[in-house]
Amino acid sequence: MVTALLVVLGFCAGLLGALTGIGGGILLTPILALHFGIPIRHAIGTSLVAVITTSTASSSVHLQRHTTDIRLGMTLELATALGAAVMAYLVGYFNRNVLEGLFAGFLLYSSIMILVRGGKVKEGHPAPVSNGDLEIPPYQPQRYPLGLAASLVAGAMSGLLGIGGGPIKVPVMYIFMRVPLMVATATSNFMIGVTAAASAIVYYRRGDILVDVAAPLAVGVFVGSLLGARLASRVHTKVVVYLLVAVMFYLAGHLFLDLLRGTL
Amino acid sequence: MSEMREPGFDRTVALVLRAGAFSCFFVMLAGLIVGWFIHGAIPLLIERIGVLLMLATPVVRVIVACFLFFREKDWRYGWISFGVLLILMLGAVFGIGEH
Repeated sequence: MVTALLVVLGFCAGLLGALTGIGGGILLTPILALHFGIPIRHAIGTSLVAVITTSTASSSVHLQRHTTDIRLGMTLELATALGAAVMAYLVGYFNRNVLEGLFAGFLLYSSIMILVRGGKVKEGHPAPVSNGDLEIPPYQPQRYPLGLAASLVAGAMSGLLGIGGGPIKVPVMYIFMRVPLMVATATSNFMIGVTAAASAIVYYRRGDILVDVAAPLAVGVFVGSLLGARLASRVHTKVVVYLLVAVMFYLAGHLFLDLLRGTL
Repeated sequence: MSEMREPGFDRTVALVLRAGAFSCFFVMLAGLIVGWFIHGAIPLLIERIGVLLMLATPVVRVIVACFLFFREKDWRYGWISFGVLLILMLGAVFGIGEH
């Protein structure tokens, strides 16, 4: 019964993630913690598996459209993987309340940022294009040190909270490294798999991935994100984004309340 | 060099990711279906294999890219990929902080 519920939850997270560009991890971790009674560290580790699933499925599509810069991605992965692995290791020493407080703060910050941008999740989440090859202007990535530093932070955030870190990487590649937006988005997505794997391996070794929770979630996420990718061009995403923001506010509030009551 | 001038390279890496994603999906699904009928260690083991396959997919992707770069004599990116692989492996070795 719980398993079926987890498949449905994964399906919804995958579908909404593909429709809006908001990664599934940000919703899955708090829902697992609040509504399935899973300790937050296990919830983070478990949702990392779903994050890898989404990234793997969607970046294979981006790769076939030749919008991913594998060289740039691989270079920045040096930093994201390092940040993710080190932070995942440190999380083992974190107090549960600290983690929950950080997550609630992050949820609140993300939802406010989405509202401030008027419902845009990240800089120009690209409209899915179905017609063959895409025109990409020639470019040369600039300011590698800055890109690597930002990637280190994005990786650390991923290892800390079980998220992908796209909202950091995409603007840095686009604005500071002068990479075309389409390439920045695809490359960020490409990097998430390795970044999340770097921390997930640490979580797994520590016993923080609940296999019987991760499997139904990942099955649901896989189907949901495939369907979402197909529907993305036909659905009015702005409504969906505001719906998601409402859910994020609710989850942040719930986490804060539980922290105040000290019950969780 | 950041031009996407090697469609074959992209295709190979995409193939690795696709194979990983689909095999994980089917293994995990099999675990769920078996778990519907039998309780205990067997479905859990199948699910564990699925999760491990999922964790291994990005690692395999890095290994394949590393191999492809070295084969193209693109030493710089070959070594960068190797570095990423080392970081991933370090996590597997030192990630045992149980408390």
